[in-house]
Amino acid sequence: MNQANIISDTAANGAAAKEIDSLPGDFAIWIFIFAEMLAFGVLFVAYAFTRAKNVELFNASQLTLSRTSGFINTLALISSSYCVVRGVAAIKQGLSKQCAGWLSGAFLLGGLFIGIKLVEFNAKFAADITMSTNDFYMFYLALTFFHFMHVLMGMVILAVIIMKARRGGYSAADYVGVETGASFWHMVDFLWIILFPLVYIIR
Amino acid sequence: MKNTFTTIIWLALILLTTMTYSIDLIGMSGKATMLALLAITMLKSQMVANYFMGLRKCGTLWRGIMFGYFLIVGSLIAIAYLMAEH
Repeated sequence: MNQANIISDTAANGAAAKEIDSLPGDFAIWIFIFAEMLAFGVLFVAYAFTRAKNVELFNASQLTLSRTSGFINTLALISSSYCVVRGVAAIKQGLSKQCAGWLSGAFLLGGLFIGIKLVEFNAKFAADITMSTNDFYMFYLALTFFHFMHVLMGMVILAVIIMKARRGGYSAADYVGVETGASFWHMVDFLWIILFPLVYIIR
Repeated sequence: MKNTFTTIIWLALILLTTMTYSIDLIGMSGKATMLALLAITMLKSQMVANYFMGLRKCGTLWRGIMFGYFLIVGSLIAIAYLMAEH
């Protein structure tokens, strides 16, 4: 093997290693994802330690929530994440229309989540429950509304990607945009996976 | 094959979520239940990060950050629940 071949092989191996090591999508979204994880993490832990000082109030207030709504919403977000994975797999094979189809499924499931959350929020506001009612509801409304806004933002990102995919804007060689949106959507999913048992189930 | 694996992960997540909901429905509570529910939650989150986000193909640093996050947040929540004043 001559020197030129060795240099070429080393460069190719380096590129492959970089691809394996690097995060999916644009790195900028990961700075945002890590910042959001930190913000939610602080809120999750603050909820748990605030509850530790007033267990009876938290347990009684928690029982007023619709756990079935939370359960259906968890299934909706997990399934939407699955659709996103299939969308990314489709575009890696150059299947733009299939990618748009799977992402549209994820978008609709996100819409289901939003619809159920709006019904839940409406029921609480109709019962005159606000953030100042007690510490539990302060955390419940803050956490779920903060997450609700992330779902909305994720749906806007998905809608933009779906439109571009339908126009053939992505290909098997150029799918960073799809992976970037997918990474954000999966973050929205796993934050809810923690939020649901913490606020609705664990007593 | 890859899609089949993804589908299996999705079904496992659905099953674990249904388990979480069922534990609540049958009225199980207590410290052991809380720890089991937290373990299921952290397992599900790790599954989404590894298999849906695709972090299992990333470097140790990124997988370590994600695993560390779930471990620290989960542990702090568990400590808070264990030291709760009833």
